[in-house]
Amino acid sequence: MSRPATANPARPGPGASTVTEIISRREAPIRDLADHAGEVAAACHAMAVRFHRGGKLLVFGTGTESTDALHVAVEFVHPVIVGMRALPAVSLTTDVATLTGLAEREGMPGIFAHQIRVLGEPSDIAIGICADDLSESVLAGLTAAHDMSMLTIALAGGDDPVTHPAVDHVITAGSRDPRVVKEVHVTTYHLLWELVHVFFSQPGVLSPGAVA
Amino acid sequence: MTGRRPPEGSPATAEMESLYPFLYAGESDLDRVMEEVRRSTVAKAREIVDLRRVVCERDAGKLWACAREMAGRFATGGRLLTFGNGGSSTDAQEMATLFLNPGAGARPLPAFGLASDTAVLTALSNDVGVEVIFSRQVAAFGRRQDIAVALSTSGSSENLLRALAEASHRGLLTIGIAGYDGGKMAELADLDYLFVAPSGSVHRIQEAQTTIYHTLWELTLMALAEGG
Repeated sequence: MSRPATANPARPGPGASTVTEIISRREAPIRDLADHAGEVAAACHAMAVRFHRGGKLLVFGTGTESTDALHVAVEFVHPVIVGMRALPAVSLTTDVATLTGLAEREGMPGIFAHQIRVLGEPSDIAIGICADDLSESVLAGLTAAHDMSMLTIALAGGDDPVTHPAVDHVITAGSRDPRVVKEVHVTTYHLLWELVHVFFSQPGVLSPGAVA
Repeated sequence: MTGRRPPEGSPATAEMESLYPFLYAGESDLDRVMEEVRRSTVAKAREIVDLRRVVCERDAGKLWACAREMAGRFATGGRLLTFGNGGSSTDAQEMATLFLNPGAGARPLPAFGLASDTAVLTALSNDVGVEVIFSRQVAAFGRRQDIAVALSTSGSSENLLRALAEASHRGLLTIGIAGYDGGKMAELADLDYLFVAPSGSVHRIQEAQTTIYHTLWELTLMALAEGG
């Protein structure tokens, strides 16, 4: 079958050098993540302790980060490495009926906080994902979780480290490009999954006597 | 510390640990595991930097050529259809929303993620089988000017191969994004573009694939701007 022609097939483009520039833009923020490996390890240890005590993971974000929340949940529930234990995780971005219902009735800021308050338990873990500073709805979700004594973790982005009193662990991807931040976040949550299981393979470090 | 623990699965283990946690944990153990975990993080970061460089060296020219063809399709009314399974379904959805709702003044382009409609996916899975969940959607609303992007770490998922075949048959521009050695996607004669993240780690593959479709998006917008 014939195909439609390209708009300007003969016109030269920016080509390979542009691709090289785009891809090399990813390197410094990933190295920055490696420089903060101790913070990643601390967050993983805290998560492993919660899972060990029977807690579940609730994860959320808006826009493209809503798809990251889906990815995190499936990562824990159905690990890509055969034989690894399934851990309880739910994305708060899948229930379109509840999300649109809440947004229509109460506005965007409450879309995650409401679900946290009704579905969450004190032993749980909340992870909020934002490509830059914490958005209103994600921060409200993390604050509701903190108020219930849940462990709170944020994946954020930007030039400056993000901090908030309601968030126990923040891992900030050092870039202002939301696409690059997303890529650092994917690596970060792959590490969160993998390293939680490293702690699980050493149950002694999950007991109440072990403090990071 | 493994040596100090009773055998795995021993009925006494859980009870003993809950009664005497101090027998099973020591500060030095935790410090050692934390250090192991920290080193692992640094090693993984190095792996993904290296993998992205390999993709760039292999495929820089092909990425640009593909983006120009995508721009040509959009310029003549084409739409983007994306699909994948599991973690790759979330990448398919992210790619679709990136084109549809890029924000920051970037030009929005029509895109459909075919993994988001639970009614359609469960209907097709239940009535026919999981192997047709994407191909039936391509057949139902794919048009000749459209672009089909299949995301898979293995490159061999049956439902993606079927959807790509359906898309090729209908004249869509077909793009595969795979891992390992490309799997069965590498054997498809009709596939227009195949991008492979050559790694044995599903996680590193997905991370490099994210870069591949982000790069395609950025280049497509450049090509569209250039073409007026």
